[in-house]
Amino acid sequence: MDVGLLGQYVMNGLMLGMMYALVAVGFTLFFGVMDIINFAHGDVLTVGAFAALATILGLAGIGVDSPWIQLAGATLVAVTTMAALGAVIARTLVLPLKGAPPLNTLLITLMLGTALHEGVRLFYPQGANPQRFPSLLPTDAYSFGHFTLRIDSLLVLTTGLLLIVGIHLLINRTKLGLAIRAVAQDEDTAKTMGINYTLIVLATFAIGSGLAAFAGVLHGLYYSEVNFAMGLLLGVIGFSAAIVGGLGNIYGAILGGFLFSALQTIGVLAMPFASAYKDVFAFAVVILIMAWRPTGLISEKISQRV
Amino acid sequence: MTAPQDPRSLAWTIGAAIVVVLYVILLLGVESQLEIAGLLAAGIAAVAVAARFGVVARLGRFLGERDGLLNALVVAGTLAVTAFFHGDAFVLLLVATVIIYFIACLGLNLQFGYSGVLNFAGAAFFGIGCYTAAVMTVHTAVPHLLILFAGGAMAAAIGSILILPVLRTYSHYSAVITIAFGLLFKIFLEVNDALGGPQGLRVKGMNVLGWKFNSNIDIGGIEVSFYVNYIVLGLVLLALAFTFVRRVERSWIGLNLDAVRLDETAAACFGLNITRWKITAFTLGNFLIGLAGALFAMMLGFIAPTNFTFGDSLILVSIVLLGGIGNPWGLVVATAILIVVPEKLQAIQEYRFLLFAAMVILILLFRPEGLLPRSLRTYFPGWRAK
Amino acid sequence: MSATSNNNGATPLLAATGLSKLFGGVVALDKLDLQVFANQILGLIGPNGSGKTTFFNVTTGIYPVSAGRVVFDGQDITNLSTQAVYRAGISRTFQRSRLSLALSIFDNIMIGNHKRLNQGLWFNLARRDAFRRQFEESFEEARELVQVFDAPLADRMFEAIGGFPMIDRRRIEICRALVSRPKLLLLDEPSAGMTQEETTELMDDILEVKDRFQGLTIVIIEHEMGVIERITERCVVLNFGQKISEGAYQEIARDRLVQEAYLGIE
Repeated sequence: MDVGLLGQYVMNGLMLGMMYALVAVGFTLFFGVMDIINFAHGDVLTVGAFAALATILGLAGIGVDSPWIQLAGATLVAVTTMAALGAVIARTLVLPLKGAPPLNTLLITLMLGTALHEGVRLFYPQGANPQRFPSLLPTDAYSFGHFTLRIDSLLVLTTGLLLIVGIHLLINRTKLGLAIRAVAQDEDTAKTMGINYTLIVLATFAIGSGLAAFAGVLHGLYYSEVNFAMGLLLGVIGFSAAIVGGLGNIYGAILGGFLFSALQTIGVLAMPFASAYKDVFAFAVVILIMAWRPTGLISEKISQRV
Repeated sequence: MTAPQDPRSLAWTIGAAIVVVLYVILLLGVESQLEIAGLLAAGIAAVAVAARFGVVARLGRFLGERDGLLNALVVAGTLAVTAFFHGDAFVLLLVATVIIYFIACLGLNLQFGYSGVLNFAGAAFFGIGCYTAAVMTVHTAVPHLLILFAGGAMAAAIGSILILPVLRTYSHYSAVITIAFGLLFKIFLEVNDALGGPQGLRVKGMNVLGWKFNSNIDIGGIEVSFYVNYIVLGLVLLALAFTFVRRVERSWIGLNLDAVRLDETAAACFGLNITRWKITAFTLGNFLIGLAGALFAMMLGFIAPTNFTFGDSLILVSIVLLGGIGNPWGLVVATAILIVVPEKLQAIQEYRFLLFAAMVILILLFRPEGLLPRSLRTYFPGWRAK
Repeated sequence: MSATSNNNGATPLLAATGLSKLFGGVVALDKLDLQVFANQILGLIGPNGSGKTTFFNVTTGIYPVSAGRVVFDGQDITNLSTQAVYRAGISRTFQRSRLSLALSIFDNIMIGNHKRLNQGLWFNLARRDAFRRQFEESFEEARELVQVFDAPLADRMFEAIGGFPMIDRRRIEICRALVSRPKLLLLDEPSAGMTQEETTELMDDILEVKDRFQGLTIVIIEHEMGVIERITERCVVLNFGQKISEGAYQEIARDRLVQEAYLGIE
């Protein structure tokens, strides 16, 4: 295979891995502070992407033509509204079910996810069809043999990586991050140390959901298309990536995201005749990995008092 | 042994059953959207009032000790509705669909309601039954009644691939495995040419010893829709499935499944083989779901991957949750609501996934035990200690 | 091979030798030698975290051992599954009551009766008359057992246990453990969460049960020294996973090591 084509695959794989990683970090953060899985997370990403799209169209409608301002506005709106949505989800659906069986939280977030993407399908104009996401980034390209490096791809990738670094700094270098880690480690002790538990949970959901919105925008920019069902696949694989990395472990989640995209890319490379089956392959990998290492490659800390 | 006779309560119960049947007939019969909405509102109000004055609870107690009577009333009621609408294909299709979904949900109830094994791929196992029926009716000469069981067996067999990952994981992990399987199944059907791809497959109608289920019947000059065939067969299968699930519940098996769901560690300390009981529930449940699927496919005559989405799996789970986890009678009410209401009330047809999701969220927040909560196990209804 | 009631040179019913359990770097049991003699009530005491519950969990197969052996009634039960340990004749209660609150008293007790009930699919589903006979026999048996503890409770066998106070739950949990006629009963802090009077009542029940079930041996983990003094014939004191003392209550109470472990600085 020629190097240029290979480069293209690597670029695609990195991009996919970054999306997965951003989603997986959300799952792992929620699990860290609350020991719950938010199955609506993928659909929050979808809503975020559509919020961004609506903002871009709205800005264009009132005559703001600069793509940079459109992009900044769209990102700002998507991230803040989804952060708020995340906090509302935590407040109204997750915290009230804290004492209930974990299954109920799982079901309620699953149903919320359905409600969210159904909301997009029904209430966004023509929401049932895929929507074109405008290319707002410069589309200059440099060719190296068969490999074309596009500036917009490079920008998307760089932004994503910067975000991941930002999360690292937030968790490790700020007071908020310290509080999140404290709650994740031991909720009761954290409370007695004067940490406002509810506030930290809301903040964590806001951060995770904001990240998902960002991932949604990047997804739109890279693939130039968004649709109401996109969150399902991203959610399932993002969650699987978080499991593989060991739930609660942020770096594990990031690694897991890239691992999944690598497996998917290799699968397509190894079996080009079966490219139609690439999603079948992805889900089969999810099932196999879970059967092999049920609690992830980097094990989740299970402490059960008997 | 049996509960004391109580002619007045019996009269009241039969009266109530007649009222319910008349209400169902009225609801299925009217066409105007406004009237349907009004009837639904009236129905909800009537149930609320009856519950307020303890009528529902009293009926429940009375019938709870007289299982046979309740079963007979439901079958008689269904037949009465069927007889009334004998020529109305649309209504009869609805009735048959409710029966078939009820069978599938009984299977899900075994898995999820009793043993706590999650299955978010219900529509996929239903689909396996459908595709088995499609392939076997068209390409083989196997008797059609056997094909129904083949559909169940195929679902159980393919389900066993998932047993290992599902057994090795718990709660959210096994949830995501079944979700992944459900998505995989639908995408696989779409990209696979052998099984018809996105266009789907044709299925032959049921034919038992020359009795063609998909032809209308003529009884003394009265034209009867062919769906009546499926309603009758569906009722027979339902009776079998229902008796089976009831007996499971009212035996040590049901107790074991509950023990596994409620506390695996404690159960294991008293000798319960967790793996055995989870496999039992998962396999039997998938069998019932697949069986229902096979019958459904033969009735529709045509199937396509769009019938088996993740959303459809969630509807099956919603039925179990809404009805009251573990209560088979709750399933009837929930199936009827979730299947009939959107079909009759066209205005909400498009919004049904959204509405169901919202309903389940509200149920989980405010009434997690469901509309008709499961009661404690009675091994023999009406049995009293000497 | 069964042991006698006498511990002078007799074979113990349960014997742990060199039993160790590590959780990561934490040593929960440290080369523990512990013997339980038939027909006795043995008190297992020690400060929090001294390894008492871990001993139960390792013995019943919930955790695998890190080193050492456990022999019960002549059979090596080291690392057997929880199911096999139960079949061998050991049953237990839990520190935090682990009843299924949504199930009836009868159902909870029948969970403990698992090995004596016919678990075959065909028997349960098709042979309803035979099942009915087994059900009725089991019901009578369970009712008699509950009557030993509390007569009014025996009339409420088909009510959810979640609706009963803590003392009744403890009673039913002990019934669940006893219904299969174990040789050895492990009680993990049965007085936790109960008042003084309730504790006294429950201990009376336990002594009565001991009288009724000839040959029953009991190990009880307990913090209330009054309880230990009253009902045990022998005590073993653990600290940091090691046995620091054993003997009758009067003897160990005088032991300086024991006093230090309880009063001294950890």
